[in-house]
Amino acid sequence: MIQWVAWLGAFFLDRVGELGRSGLFFYRMIRGLFRPPGKFHFVVKQVYFIGTKSFFVIGFTGAFTGMVLGLQGYYTLSKFGSEGLLGSAVALSLIRELGPVLSALMVTGRAGSAMCAEIGIMRIEEQIDALECMAIDPHAYLVAPKLIACLIALPLLTAFFDVVGILGGYAIGVDLLGLSSGIYMDGVERSVAWEDVYMGIVKSLWFALLIIWICTYKGFYAGLDEGSFGPEQVSKATTNAVVASSVSVLVCDYVVTSILL
Amino acid sequence: MSAESHLIDMQGLNSHYGGRQVLFDIRFTIPRRQVTVIMGVSGCGKTTLLRHLIGLKATQPGQVMIDGEDLGGFDEAKLRAYRLKTGVLFQGGALFNSLSLWENIAVPLKVHTRLPEKIIRIMAVIKLGLVGLSEFCDYMPSQLSGGMRKRAGLARALAMDPEILFVDEPSSGLDPITAAGLDQLILDLRETLGMTIIVVTHELESAFHIADQLIVMDQGRVLAAGGPEEIQASGDKRVRQFLNRQADPRWTENPATSSCLPGERVEEGKG
Repeated sequence: MIQWVAWLGAFFLDRVGELGRSGLFFYRMIRGLFRPPGKFHFVVKQVYFIGTKSFFVIGFTGAFTGMVLGLQGYYTLSKFGSEGLLGSAVALSLIRELGPVLSALMVTGRAGSAMCAEIGIMRIEEQIDALECMAIDPHAYLVAPKLIACLIALPLLTAFFDVVGILGGYAIGVDLLGLSSGIYMDGVERSVAWEDVYMGIVKSLWFALLIIWICTYKGFYAGLDEGSFGPEQVSKATTNAVVASSVSVLVCDYVVTSILL
Repeated sequence: MSAESHLIDMQGLNSHYGGRQVLFDIRFTIPRRQVTVIMGVSGCGKTTLLRHLIGLKATQPGQVMIDGEDLGGFDEAKLRAYRLKTGVLFQGGALFNSLSLWENIAVPLKVHTRLPEKIIRIMAVIKLGLVGLSEFCDYMPSQLSGGMRKRAGLARALAMDPEILFVDEPSSGLDPITAAGLDQLILDLRETLGMTIIVVTHELESAFHIADQLIVMDQGRVLAAGGPEEIQASGDKRVRQFLNRQADPRWTENPATSSCLPGERVEEGKG
């Protein structure tokens, strides 16, 4: 019994320690935005990596999400004789909810994992120590450009996801199931208000912050808990980063939705 | 030797990893413009000591004085200023894999100076020339051998013309010719630029060749400190064991080794 209590105490102490460390990392990441070196070149490189290179996967996911929404939406709405609302249903689902969330999950899987592994490898090969010894703030040099780039790229990728998704819904609803093109597009135009777009942008900005914070943090402290630094620790850190940021995106989605609604 | 000639004064450094103490009351001084070699078997605390000296591991106030100032009391600005005066060669070179050699050398120059890109490239190539790698300036670290990566790491450590150079295991894993070249370079840096150089190694030949002062460590403690002749003449059992390359009896006489093996213990003559 005593052992069990001791184990529980150690677990909570460990969690509190981790929370404090991640909070400190967040502060240093934000402070890094205002510290040298200049970030333009690094940000452009990261926007290319996070944004441009995710274009295909985001487009692909967006198209199929829109197509499934079109198919399911038409089937459900036709039961009530409301097929005319298909455009509204697809557009609102995508812009308010699915666009930001699925884009964030895709970026986590493609770019977040890579960033975590990159920083983790830098940690185990003493490259982060080398930066510190050169009087260069690793948060400003490595993490801050990724944050700026993700804050730029993720809302744009989300917008791209939404547009492709709406076109995917159009392809199914209009071309396959015979809904009138005008009715579909009119539904999209009339139902989407600025508040919906605003909600999507706000969500994607929060998700960008979360993804970079969690993925770079996990890489930065790869192997710290075990006290040993090797490839296994990097792979564990990468897995933890993807799981933790995906879950955080979903939790954050609920919180932001409940605040903005 | 006067107090002014000492750059670093260790006044009883203790260090811990979690609850485990790894350094015990380390006391010695490091003179300016000389090569000090810290020697000892693997795991004796050399690298931990180095991490304290380069500010990667927090030091308690009052335990290490750098140029008369307390390293443990350095705030962020002071630590930054100290680091700008130091260069560090890590054991594996610690080069950035995504940058070419000259870009690696250029990293500190780009961050800390406002020099134009062309000048920075010229400076980087000059630094690479010091370690005989100027013709490889556009190569990526992955295209180089371990020895070349280490030399490139040294060139990067020299990029900001440091006053103090810390070198972690310069000769380990290198062929004798490359190792001798690195040793000569360390001596040249001391002679020509008057650098204070602190080398951590367990390579005896290299250590005695380059050292003005040697510090021998064992199990987190300083066993002996002095010039090469003093260390050679040391009567300490562990120092002699280290210098004479004798196997540690704890390895061979440890009964725990055989007790870890499966099966029954059979007494001699009964089998």
